[in-house]
Amino acid sequence: MSELGRLALLLGFGCSCFAVGSIAWGLRTGLSGPLRSGRRAVWAVCGLALFAVILLERALLARDMSYRYVAEHTSKDLPLHYAFSSLWAGQEGSLLLWLLILSAYGSAFLLAYRKRLDPFYDAVAMVVASVMIFFTALLSFVCSPFRILATPPPDGMGLNPLLQDPGMMIHPPILYTGYVGFIIPFGFAIAVLLLNRSGTRWIEEVRRWTLFCWGFLGVGILLGARWAYIELGWGGYWGWDPVENASLMPWLVGTAFLHSVMIEQRRGMLKTWNIALIVLTFELSIFGTFLTRSGVLTSVHSFAESNIGPWFLGFILLSSTIATALILYRKALLESENRMEAIVSREGSFLFNNVLFVALTFATFLGTTFPVISEAVTGTKISVSAPFFNRVNVPIALALLLLTGAGPVLSWKRATASVLKRNFILPAFMGVLATAVAIPFGASGVYPLVCIFAAAFVTTTIVMEFARGIQARKDLETGALPSQVAHLVQKNKRRYGGYIIHGGMVVLFIGVLGSSVFQKEAHGPLKNGQALAIGPYTLTLRGVTEQQRQNASLTTAILDVSRGGKFVGTQHASKAFYSKAQQPMTEVALHSTPAEDLYMILGGVNEDGSASIQAYINPLVSYVWVGGLIMVFGIFIAASDKMRLRREEKLAP
Amino acid sequence: MSRFVPAVLLFFLIAASAAPSSAKPRDLAHEITSNIICPCSCGEVLSGCTCETGKSMQATVENGVKMGKSKDQIVGALVSQYGEVIRGAPKAEGFNLIVWVAPFAATLAGFAIAFFVLRKWVRRRAALYAAGAPGLEGSEPEARPDGTVPFPTGRSLEGDLDALRRRAEEELGEMRRKR
Repeated sequence: MSELGRLALLLGFGCSCFAVGSIAWGLRTGLSGPLRSGRRAVWAVCGLALFAVILLERALLARDMSYRYVAEHTSKDLPLHYAFSSLWAGQEGSLLLWLLILSAYGSAFLLAYRKRLDPFYDAVAMVVASVMIFFTALLSFVCSPFRILATPPPDGMGLNPLLQDPGMMIHPPILYTGYVGFIIPFGFAIAVLLLNRSGTRWIEEVRRWTLFCWGFLGVGILLGARWAYIELGWGGYWGWDPVENASLMPWLVGTAFLHSVMIEQRRGMLKTWNIALIVLTFELSIFGTFLTRSGVLTSVHSFAESNIGPWFLGFILLSSTIATALILYRKALLESENRMEAIVSREGSFLFNNVLFVALTFATFLGTTFPVISEAVTGTKISVSAPFFNRVNVPIALALLLLTGAGPVLSWKRATASVLKRNFILPAFMGVLATAVAIPFGASGVYPLVCIFAAAFVTTTIVMEFARGIQARKDLETGALPSQVAHLVQKNKRRYGGYIIHGGMVVLFIGVLGSSVFQKEAHGPLKNGQALAIGPYTLTLRGVTEQQRQNASLTTAILDVSRGGKFVGTQHASKAFYSKAQQPMTEVALHSTPAEDLYMILGGVNEDGSASIQAYINPLVSYVWVGGLIMVFGIFIAASDKMRLRREEKLAP
Repeated sequence: MSRFVPAVLLFFLIAASAAPSSAKPRDLAHEITSNIICPCSCGEVLSGCTCETGKSMQATVENGVKMGKSKDQIVGALVSQYGEVIRGAPKAEGFNLIVWVAPFAATLAGFAIAFFVLRKWVRRRAALYAAGAPGLEGSEPEARPDGTVPFPTGRSLEGDLDALRRRAEEELGEMRRKR
């Protein structure tokens, strides 16, 4: 069976090479035959990758220990669903999943544009196929998931306990769907340069693909944060860990692109800049894989380290060199007559927004890679971690939040003084009001106060935008408010979808502010019947139990939780000890309310029989997740807009 | 408009209700531990670390605070024991100054570039306008009083050329395929 798997990957490599060669030939000669064959080869790679995945899953589920990958990442006592998800627990399996998603994107792309006869789309498929060459080559010649052990061990090494979590079953595939998806925008950009295409139609198409994978990446990041919150047991959800940063960077640049692309659509400006952003987003998503997989940086998420780092680095260098060379070669294509009415305008605010997004990405990139650079230069090992990013990234992010409010209320072309006055006075007043109200409640410090001001400011501008839209349509609409809002959103999905995304971002910022600045902590050893007070809560230890699970032994502290003297429930904080991995794992007890989370960890059981309990109150943490959901809702609305495209098609002669 | 206000107020009320129960400044020990990284393989910020190394370091910090040592003394002692690597953020001196300065320098430089580029574009348009160039973005309508911008009624020359080129290419492609 393993030979079949190897053969499938080898054939996949062959088909990818064929696809690139064939499409290139077709593009050169204008013959349709080679283009068609190339398209079919892309489909074939998708089928072969799927076949390889099925073979590996079969081995994983059967715990066939003759496979090295299976022996390294599963064990016989591993629950079936985790055996299934251990496909992406290790390096080779993750790369195989990556290839599957990549080839699925290629096929989905060809399916979506199967009726378009324009060879432009074949060129995009060619770019996807050339990335497939890289991945199939890695899987065939460098790190095959189908390596066989000469003497199969009686049992495997087991799955990393950190990955034995329901969140880990969906987080990686969703994150990958985001990461890998940036291949399509990248393909568009390269195809535009290769074929010397002008016009803005591809920009509309690329915007949708970008929105799609950008949304998936965002959801993937949030799921990762949720996983860290529940599984890592340190009371937080975002630690500015290298791998977290790696996923954030393409998301940030992608966000910058989604904004600046509007200027290109409206004004035909910033062509080079937009192409550069697309290329950067793609390279950063590959860089993310490189960071996770290379072991250059230590991280809580780098579960599979190996020697494939140089390959990725080489690929990044090669692809970015080609992209840069193409941009320079097609300079004339990207030239645009840039004209602007005023600096204080929507266009202007987008430009500053782009600066901030790219600066935030740069700060994250520099901070993430600086330990390696500094050690190479000074010879001293240093860390650049959360305390750094909290000081450097937070102010830039807050500036962005402020701009989130300012941008949409500036009119296109030129914002006159009267427009500025009309649009800014109320939001600014609400911002000051919210800040003034927050101070007696205990808010202090520059960043928290700026965040509160900005949150109120942005919320007011969004509400005003909706209210103004409804006001403008009041002659047409007479129904109830919800239906008026629904119709308004229907009318311009991109615009109001965007505002909803901004609203979600504000909610998320409030959650981050609440849970970081106002977090409260208490800890102590508790004997049976003893209580620990934290804020309005009292935790009383009711006992400690020992329990055997399928592949772990579980020590659980049973805690009665009361708030203000009123009993609210019994919670179980556990420490699991996985026999295979020989390491303890925290299983957090969580009492969630909309206003705050009570987060309880069992540190361990002491010699005198007392249990070390650590408890946090994380205010407003639910806002982080709710904010994320609102953003997803907004993305759905913004992405479902076809109006602009249809209109353009109608206008086409 | 007034009907939106209750929803927004509710949203902020929940936020505000969460604050007073926990708005209390953290102690010095927490300030220190939240800026130190556990030197063992876990790599977590010390204040949230639950591994054995982390716990003993937390105890060291708490003892130091109880004995009345200053923040610098406690951190200095830990750094001399475990190395610079335990600082969550490098000291802003020497080569490591770069990582502190570069992000803000880049942001400011970016702003400056954006400003000058925008000014150049504004001046270019003004110059063209003064020269009486015809049809200057005339196709793009001004914003309505409600802030929305209607779709362009006319199409630019470039847009027309694009459409023609696209059509020609599509037809050519079709012909090639039929052949």
